[in-house]
Amino acid sequence: MIELRPHSDACWEVPRTGDMLVPAHIYATEEMLEDISSDDAVQQAVNVAHMPGILKASIAMPDIHWGYGFPIGGVAAFDPSDGVISPGGVGYDINCGVRLMGSKLSKDDIEGSLEKLVDILFARVPTGVGASGAMTVSKEDVRKVAVEGARWPVSHGYGSEADLDVIEENGQVDGGITDYLSDRSIDRGTTQLGTLGSGNHFLEVGHVAEIYDEEAASAMGLFPGQVTVIIHSGSRGFGYQVCDDYLSVMDKAMKKYDINLPDRQLACAPIQSEEGQRYIGAMRCAINYAFANRQVMAHNTRTSFEEVLGMSPRDVGLYTIYEVAHNIAKFEIHKVNGSEQEVCVHRKGATRAFGPGARDVPGKYKDIGQPVLIPGDMGRYSYVLTGTKTAMEKTFGSTCHGAGRKMSRRQAKKEARGRNIGKELADRGIIVRGESQRTINEEHSDAYKDVKNVVKACEVAGISKTVAQLRPLGVIKG
Amino acid sequence: MPDLNAFSTDSLCTMISSPDWLRELDHTADIGIAVQADDLKTLFERAAHGMLSLLTDIESVEAKITRDVRASGGDLQELMRNWLSEVNFLHIQEHLVFRTFEITSFTEQELAATIAGESIDRERHDIFTEIKAVTYHGLSIEKENGLWHAEIIFDM
Repeated sequence: MIELRPHSDACWEVPRTGDMLVPAHIYATEEMLEDISSDDAVQQAVNVAHMPGILKASIAMPDIHWGYGFPIGGVAAFDPSDGVISPGGVGYDINCGVRLMGSKLSKDDIEGSLEKLVDILFARVPTGVGASGAMTVSKEDVRKVAVEGARWPVSHGYGSEADLDVIEENGQVDGGITDYLSDRSIDRGTTQLGTLGSGNHFLEVGHVAEIYDEEAASAMGLFPGQVTVIIHSGSRGFGYQVCDDYLSVMDKAMKKYDINLPDRQLACAPIQSEEGQRYIGAMRCAINYAFANRQVMAHNTRTSFEEVLGMSPRDVGLYTIYEVAHNIAKFEIHKVNGSEQEVCVHRKGATRAFGPGARDVPGKYKDIGQPVLIPGDMGRYSYVLTGTKTAMEKTFGSTCHGAGRKMSRRQAKKEARGRNIGKELADRGIIVRGESQRTINEEHSDAYKDVKNVVKACEVAGISKTVAQLRPLGVIKG
Repeated sequence: MPDLNAFSTDSLCTMISSPDWLRELDHTADIGIAVQADDLKTLFERAAHGMLSLLTDIESVEAKITRDVRASGGDLQELMRNWLSEVNFLHIQEHLVFRTFEITSFTEQELAATIAGESIDRERHDIFTEIKAVTYHGLSIEKENGLWHAEIIFDM
């Protein structure tokens, strides 16, 4: 087992040895260490510390677990001049992320309509798993979405400019180059706009159960008992295809540029190389597709609420609090060795958590820091946090992203045998709809770690601050 | 839409049986399959069957329509990944599920196949999940004691 030395509050260091260019920093409470060391995730964080141009440290969040090459829950920043870009450091689901919406409604306002609401949402926000999407768009439109991001649906009547103000990057990144996409990505993009996907993706209607930080909660418009919506999804088949296409490209680039790393799955290319630039251009298209995807789902969520409750948009008041990305690579300005510089930050299963006053934090959150949404499992709770100045100093403005699985899907199914998870949740007042019984069984609460511990570790480390706890009322799973 | 409160999980689990040449592999976040066969062609056919069995109950699928699939690769691993990716693409893009997989020509770099199935009918077909990608992670194709074995992990 790799030795982890205490470094700072809830942070452990694997010192630089051998060919490591920087140390590895693992964020966790002492109690979490045994669990974290149970798979190869720490070794993966150490492997990442070998990658050319990596700055400061290879960082892992408390929800770290084994991933393809990079650990999930990993953060790594590279120097744009001599560093690398890696599809494995972003993940298959490029710009997988979470939108949090608040409303004017209280829990009691939807009690009688909840089941109907969840049914309508299940139809209007399709999982897209083996079925057609919410809308079919032309290949030409997919190319536009890939460049315009969430602006595309907004300009077609799905939501408003107010949404864009509170999405990371305002729902659109520049530099999406559609020439770098395969035909297959474009094809896959035509049928999946406005769809959730499967796995751990979900749409949840919930309510504010606890508030821990009054000032931040008030800036976000959160109040006790308030009905909220969380949408967790990403760039769908469009993004998976981009990742798949470029993993092969990078595999060849590693040989071409003579990059030798402890794990072949860390396939990467110099940021300045042609291969690197092509991946960045294609990845940005997928980032934009994901922003558009969540925007369409948010709009369809609004119309579902209005129809079921027979209320006007104004009375339902579903507004976007914030939307974060947690599988992404971006160029950002951060302090390295005392001076500011541009870095290419990979966040794979880690959320941007910019502190108060930081660039890119919307005006209304300037004093409290950027809102961060950390989804838990479908039976327990999720958390709203804010970014901190400490995160800016220690983790390139990043924090955790979720609970992480405790059981494999197979184990979870076995555990659920003889149980009726849907009914168990219904008995606790949580309505669940899914494509199949198996999906629900694989995703039951016991299959996940308790997200509370993850959030607590981040708070102890100072890289995010807990604002509120949300509890589920109705959940849609792919 | 399935009413999840209406039936217990027991009946569902016993309904799905798996042939002795196919096994599901445990993997924390993802899922994998292990298949075996006497020859490579059958191994590849069974791998596609195994992948579909992660997506739906193959017994519920009828072979009504066919699709021709071609795949190539520099080595067996790449050929396997590309073959399964093609089948998964047809499933996702054309909303089809498949029951039979017949490889009509096979070399270690190239294959042609005819696969048969039908359009997804949500009344009859449960779709369990979605495969994001066929990964190279842990992808192995080996011959042992005269029997071919393959292990494939899917990103879910």
